[in-house]
Amino acid sequence: MTRARVFARLASALGPVWAFLAVLCAGFLLILAISSDPLLAYRDLLLSNFASASNFALFLNRLMPLLLIGLGVIFSFRAGVFNIGGEGQLYLGAIAAASVALALPNLPHALALALPIAASVLAGAVYGWIPGALKVGLEVNEVVSTLMLNFVALLLTEYLVTNPLRDPVAYGAVSYVVPHSSWLAEIPGLPGSTVGSIVAIAIAPIAWVSLFRTAWGANLRAAGSNMRFAETVGVHGKRLVLQAMAISGGLAGLAGGFYVLGIGHRFEQNFSPSFGLVGLTVALLARLHPIGLVATAAIYALILNGAAYMQIDTDVPRSLVALLTGILVLIMTMRPRRGPAEA
Amino acid sequence: MWASQFLASVFVQTTPILLAALGTMVTSRANMLNVAIEGMALVAAFAAIAVGQAENSAILGFVCAIAASVAMALMFGFVSIVLGADFIVAGLGLNILAAGGTLFLLEEVYQNPGGLRPDTFPDLWRVPAGSLHWLPVLGPALESQSFIVLVALAAIPISAFFLYRTPLGYALRAVGEDEPAAVAAGIHAARMKLLAVLISGAFAGLAGAQLAMDRLHFFLPDMTSGRGFIGLTAALFGAARPWPTAGAAFIFGAFGVIGDRLQLFQAPSQFVLMAPYLAALLALVFARWRATARARPAAVVGESR
Repeated sequence: MTRARVFARLASALGPVWAFLAVLCAGFLLILAISSDPLLAYRDLLLSNFASASNFALFLNRLMPLLLIGLGVIFSFRAGVFNIGGEGQLYLGAIAAASVALALPNLPHALALALPIAASVLAGAVYGWIPGALKVGLEVNEVVSTLMLNFVALLLTEYLVTNPLRDPVAYGAVSYVVPHSSWLAEIPGLPGSTVGSIVAIAIAPIAWVSLFRTAWGANLRAAGSNMRFAETVGVHGKRLVLQAMAISGGLAGLAGGFYVLGIGHRFEQNFSPSFGLVGLTVALLARLHPIGLVATAAIYALILNGAAYMQIDTDVPRSLVALLTGILVLIMTMRPRRGPAEA
Repeated sequence: MWASQFLASVFVQTTPILLAALGTMVTSRANMLNVAIEGMALVAAFAAIAVGQAENSAILGFVCAIAASVAMALMFGFVSIVLGADFIVAGLGLNILAAGGTLFLLEEVYQNPGGLRPDTFPDLWRVPAGSLHWLPVLGPALESQSFIVLVALAAIPISAFFLYRTPLGYALRAVGEDEPAAVAAGIHAARMKLLAVLISGAFAGLAGAQLAMDRLHFFLPDMTSGRGFIGLTAALFGAARPWPTAGAAFIFGAFGVIGDRLQLFQAPSQFVLMAPYLAALLALVFARWRATARARPAAVVGESR
């Protein structure tokens, strides 16, 4: 590697760091302006995640969906598809897992776990495949189609959870609790956590290997950066795009399944604080790199979780994080567009 | 009589959607999908109530709503056009910023995250009751509507005139259809896009002002609840042409009224609310299908393209 390339790599890796630092500084100034105890607020925001095992478990719970959706985003963007449908795919995966687990209550433990998870992956994958097929078949703009499908998924799951799946004794629009045999195990020593988070972290290196160290991944990235060239040299680009979209949706669906089986134990309407959009954000911040994503998703989950403690201990409202998220998303793609993100 | 009442509800429901639709139509014509319309309208609604309450003046609230929304549009345009951020991502970021920022202000300034509900709030100018009696059906439906409804209706032919009959409109559309060619012809592309974004900001401001100031006179977090996006789908459904876009906005507004009525009978309204999104998607698929079907005979080598 020449010195120029090392420098270029370093610069592109540092870009997101600057964005994060800028936003953290803006946040600190805001907290300084409104809070009587800014240091406590910031300590809570950043460090309370490690104060106890259950705090750390909640951090992992927030990391899981960001990581899985972000990995899905990486697959689709690397294939040249601007998939912003993560939120819809997440919701469909969650409702599919909840429906299957509730419909088949008397299964042995292995099946009671495997079937809902398979259903969540399948539901998300189909929901990701549709805009992919519309794009390669009819050149329908995938930004528009995934945006529309998000609303359809949100309304469909809202109908299901307020009508057939509704638990009438519970407060709010939530489904019945799924049977215990379908619950995902906790990570030993971390009450309230789920092994789904471990699975999500483990998928990241697998995604890296398949995208950057296999012929399939090389072809997929070739199709993403120049479809006509890829097809000319004999790559089945369209088929690869469809596979990438199915994987992308499947991962988001899996996040929904893990949430229902491991965290909420039921489907809750509005369970996601824009996980889809934040997952997209952290994937872009990581420059669409699976290992970098683990870092950006972790930092983001840390702040998201820390804000909850900050609100309890100090006079700083939690909506500060939404405000900072908005600034982060708004400014982080500020650069000449290039590479696979250009869809 | 019921026809007038139904039509009046349709006007109330449609006006924010129509304004958002016309706003996104203008940016679509400059080849930008403006997903930030939702956030702009939300900020406008907040500014309308906050300023209207503080100054006890409807007109000041109205003006500030539009100013706030245009300021958001300016930020959006600066980040995406001048600094080269991806406008979809930046637009979605602006929506989060609008939702988070208004909630932050509610908690921090008004100490009430549930919303901003002034005890008294000045009313907008309305069409006087009985003044349109000579118009059958339409007259009673328009009476006592706020003046923003009339502005929205007038905006349909005005935007059509602007896009198709003025040099600025030509230039704006030229940038959208073929940017390099437009630049070669001496058109300042970035300036045209910024103009389109600012126009959509003004439309979003009208939409937010109507939403907050017409009947409700309060602000709730996330009170736009997707109306900006439905406006976006109406513009897509109408292929970014003024009259079809307005027609789609009215159809979607009517869906909204029917959805509300269905809720009274405990019927699931979600499927009615889903209709605009599915309709826009199907319209898009159909348009692309026709385009590719027409292109197919030319592809001699079997596979299209």
